Amino acid sequence: MKTFFAIALLFFISTQVFSQTLDEIVAKHIEAIGGKDNWAKIKTLKMEGLVKANGMEVMISSLQVNGIAMRQNISVMGMTGYAILTNTEGWSFMPFNGMTKPEPVTADDLKNAQDDLFFHDKFITYIELGKKIELLGKEDIDGTECFKIKMTDKNAKETTYFIDPDNYYVIKETSKVKANGQEMENSQTFGNYKKLDEGIIFPMSITMPFGGMEIQKIEVNPVIADSEFKLAN
Amino acid sequence: MKNIIILLLLFNFITIHAQTTISSAMFGSMEARALGPGTMSGRISAIEGTIKDDGKTIFVGTAGGGVWKSTNAGASYKSVFDKYCQSIGAIGIDQKNPATIYVGTGESNMRNSVSIGNGLYKSTDAGDNWKKIGLDSTEHIAKIIVDPINPEIVYVAAPGPLWCDSKHRGLYKSTDGGQTWNIVLFKDDKTGCADILMDPTNPDIIFASMWQFRRQPYSFSSGGNSSGLFKSTDAGKTWKEITNGLPPKPFGRIAMALAPSDPKNMVAIVESAKTGLYISSDNGETWKSQSASLNVVSRPFYFSTIVIDPKDPKRIYRPAYSFSYSSDGGYSFSDASNDGGWLHSDLHALWINPTYTNVMYTGTDGGVYVSLDKGVTWQFNQGLPVGQFYHVACDNKEPYNVYGGLQDNGSWMAPSAAPGGIGNGNWLKVGGGDGFWTVPDVDGQTAYSESQGGTMSRINLANMKAENIQPQKTIKEEKLRWNWNTPIVTGTKNPKNLYVGAQYLYKSTDQGRGWKKISPDLTTNNKLKQKQEESGGLSEDNTSAENHCTIYFIAESPFDENVVWVGTDDGNIQYTIDGGANWTNVSANVAKCGIANQAWVSSVQLSQFDKNTVYATFDNHMYGDHNTYLGKSIDMGKTWVRIYNKEFTGFAHKIIEDFENKNLLFLGTEMGLFATLDGGANWFRIKNNIPEYALVMDMKIHPKTHDLVVATHGRGIYILDNISPISRLTADILNKDVYLFPPADITLTNGKMGWGGPDVIGGWSAGNPAEIPPITYYLKQRLSTGKISVDILDEKGNLIQSLPGTIRKGINKVTWNLRGMPPKVAAGSTKMDYAGFSAPMVLPGTYTIKLKVNEQEYVDKVKCVHDQSNKDLSVEDRALVYNKAMQLQSLYNNLSNVIDSISYYQNKLKADTLAFVKNKNSKVFYDDLQKVKAELMATKKTSIFADEERLRERISSLYGSFCSMEVKPNSIQLEAIDGLIQEFKIQNDAFNKLLVKYLPKNPGLKIK
Repeated sequence: MKTFFAIALLFFISTQVFSQTLDEIVAKHIEAIGGKDNWAKIKTLKMEGLVKANGMEVMISSLQVNGIAMRQNISVMGMTGYAILTNTEGWSFMPFNGMTKPEPVTADDLKNAQDDLFFHDKFITYIELGKKIELLGKEDIDGTECFKIKMTDKNAKETTYFIDPDNYYVIKETSKVKANGQEMENSQTFGNYKKLDEGIIFPMSITMPFGGMEIQKIEVNPVIADSEFKLAN
Repeated sequence: MKNIIILLLLFNFITIHAQTTISSAMFGSMEARALGPGTMSGRISAIEGTIKDDGKTIFVGTAGGGVWKSTNAGASYKSVFDKYCQSIGAIGIDQKNPATIYVGTGESNMRNSVSIGNGLYKSTDAGDNWKKIGLDSTEHIAKIIVDPINPEIVYVAAPGPLWCDSKHRGLYKSTDGGQTWNIVLFKDDKTGCADILMDPTNPDIIFASMWQFRRQPYSFSSGGNSSGLFKSTDAGKTWKEITNGLPPKPFGRIAMALAPSDPKNMVAIVESAKTGLYISSDNGETWKSQSASLNVVSRPFYFSTIVIDPKDPKRIYRPAYSFSYSSDGGYSFSDASNDGGWLHSDLHALWINPTYTNVMYTGTDGGVYVSLDKGVTWQFNQGLPVGQFYHVACDNKEPYNVYGGLQDNGSWMAPSAAPGGIGNGNWLKVGGGDGFWTVPDVDGQTAYSESQGGTMSRINLANMKAENIQPQKTIKEEKLRWNWNTPIVTGTKNPKNLYVGAQYLYKSTDQGRGWKKISPDLTTNNKLKQKQEESGGLSEDNTSAENHCTIYFIAESPFDENVVWVGTDDGNIQYTIDGGANWTNVSANVAKCGIANQAWVSSVQLSQFDKNTVYATFDNHMYGDHNTYLGKSIDMGKTWVRIYNKEFTGFAHKIIEDFENKNLLFLGTEMGLFATLDGGANWFRIKNNIPEYALVMDMKIHPKTHDLVVATHGRGIYILDNISPISRLTADILNKDVYLFPPADITLTNGKMGWGGPDVIGGWSAGNPAEIPPITYYLKQRLSTGKISVDILDEKGNLIQSLPGTIRKGINKVTWNLRGMPPKVAAGSTKMDYAGFSAPMVLPGTYTIKLKVNEQEYVDKVKCVHDQSNKDLSVEDRALVYNKAMQLQSLYNNLSNVIDSISYYQNKLKADTLAFVKNKNSKVFYDDLQKVKAELMATKKTSIFADEERLRERISSLYGSFCSMEVKPNSIQLEAIDGLIQEFKIQNDAFNKLLVKYLPKNPGLKIK
């Protein structure tokens, strides 16, 4: 009985330690990126970025109203495309793929993408958005032994975050996207973390498998007209 | 208390300090290329599919290549077990919740070369993440069953260690999803559980087959009185042995199956003095013998799979030497047809989709096959690169070829680079049987290959004819003893020397046409270890796999061809310094440093930097000892030190030394690849896209490319391209915050590898080495804040291109495409213009590399040289091509400016909506501008397949050809430039005329 008690206690302690560690990591991460309060003040965001790959340059700009709407414009070799997502509608126009007019986003995709409208750090919003997190130990990312944390949303979509134990920044995130019977893995790595005037720390460099984007201009809480999220006639 | 805190602090300090030492993570940007191939694949030990998704998701366990997952019924596979032990024995899926998967490591097809496992693993997310959950010492796991009704109940059949006595074997059971385990059936230290069956309609009814077996380095025994067939009707609490109708004991290995659709029907293959097929129709209570074909009862220790169709109790499958099936409950069997392609022999796994029972997957010694017609015909899955190489060699061609032999798959060669990447079709078979050493001759047109037991050939690579060159015994000599994996080796100092070893060493100086015996028996010649004809146990099994007291490794000194070292499989290590006249045995000296004296001498590396220094690896696993044995001597073997590191796992196969940095050594073991940069004091595990516990059998460092070529026994060949950054990473550099490695000269060429698209025949493709040597720098820490870029400047200091830098800790690689910036593309077209991607290759010269890390700059020069091998392009031609490309680029930029101006005016005109409606001139001006614009570039709305070609597209097209041109331009191309300049002038004039005409009439407009 004594042994059982001891083992049970050990078990209890070890799980306790484990979950505390995860909470600690999350807390330190939130602190590292500027703290909850500073993020809470951010309602809108406007960014301009430049993707460079083999001398080719692609301009990307984005407008985001937290939880309500977002728009991305992509300019490549003289053509411009865009994607719009709001609480009620979504559009994409990607002429590079041969699209000749904007196509609406399906109702399912619109519903599943609603969480993406919240652009605040995912570890600040995960509880509110009903997501669950789990610490999966450590893993080497780009030479740094990172904390590996899996976040699962209401639709069972999993995103894995890798946090640098030196500064608690997210180095990388990966996610699996299932569509039409196919599974694709997306990944982004982050760098050039910079403190913005409002006190939040933001990665100014985002690298995807096809190339890296440098954010060249970022405006916090700009006024964004509703018309930006409507289709141009 | 205070002391403890100080101690803790101190401990922390030490840990932090230790973290600054070197690790594989620093080289993470140097990813090895997995050459595979999928051509011949490798031994498959387990296949399980998930029922819930129509059987599209399949997990494949391999003998030495980990676990692979397909989510598309085998069209493609992905490795999901790269961080763990690569030898897989069994896979179990919780079909109620198929994200839960168990993997038992340690294959249990108990051949001489079988690897070992290190326990049981569990994933709860369909293979993305794994946790080790116990049974660490079982070494071999044959089967896992998850109770279909209560999936918390899991059974694991563990035959247990092959080479020694052990308590860690038998039938294990967990009732809490694998958190805790109890042994529910155990016989003795020599007997494990080889198979388990569960009645799916009543999971309390379980059958287990117990197997007594043992290997020694020189013999195998299957069978004993402890073997037997057991039945439990209370979920493993109590057992009774079944004998009624079975042959007299002793038994060997028993393979068995029951019919899921009618579980009272069972079949079993019982290895005994009269190995045979037995059938039961009363739930295993009584059995009767049934005659069966040789295939059905062949090699029971190796072929232990028999399966009954999930729906049809009469349909029985027996994957063994070949694939047999029965439609009448086992009374008669047929063999699978070879229509549509040969089904590889030696089969070990079968999964039948329970929903669509026509569909099944079988695992062979050469990969996975799928059948859509109940096992009658089979199609090969080409995407599993799990070949089991024993050795690798390279020639000096460009690109160089790799050569190697594989378990049950012969000997092959392939180029290290090929158009479109190295695909399955690039591999060429140069030898049969089980393949081992396959080495090229220095003459560039000959190779030697060798199959089990010393059968060896010289191959003329021009006509692919092979001649047997195996030395024969003379009448006065004993029978020659050839190892299963007999060495055939060319000289290091004199590559025209060819050596092979039986118990004697033979040397040829004429490509194996004649041989000279240059040694006495170099082994211990222990007669007790030479009774191979009695090997096998109940079933005689003597395939040269147990041959012993043989030469296993041969190495000629890089300093002197008369110095040759030989290692044997029975612990001898001997050398000659006079071409074989005299031999010195130093094995007693080795034993003094703590290395077991009977261990196999698995490799010998003679240092290229010091003629008295020798490294050797020793493998003692066949005596149940898994220690990593690496020895070094600096006095020609008189004294040895054992090099050991706590990072090491697995018994040692191979040690090699870098040719540039004498302190850089690589060690390959049964469970990983390790490197040291300080001559052996500190070691780290190499990851770099190579599985962390890969079975590394052999390695070469290519003398020209400085590539590390790795042969694995289960993951094929890996090439870690150009390891110079590792070789040159001295302690001094390691302590710098940033270090820019001096760049090597770059040859200005588009490369020879052509199109980089997918492999046209499908299957595995390895990609190619980088065509352009990357700019390489070292960062002590990841650069989390701040910017990093690599600027390229010409000799005058003009910026050619600014590249974004990578920020990882350790070695970073950034590739400059050897070009400047593409021209500016004007907006407003309905078409993407590819000129925006293109710029001409720079001219030969010295360019400055400026690595900018925040405010700091690190500068070096790189020399770009003309491609002398391209006879179609002189230096003058190159200059002409470049100048013409730049002329076109400038024309293109001018055109973009005009388009931009037109757009500017048009936007202004439209912006003033009132004027646009009222002022007639405004609208006409707009339309006239549009007419010019429509001549300048494509403006119509159209699909990507409808080609609209205007002036921009024509300039762009010609510009594109000049940008990629590697020949002297022809006259038509040159004349076309003038034509385009003329055409542009016409449109430009038209535009200017419009300005003159309309600007005065549109007073609101200002000149841009």
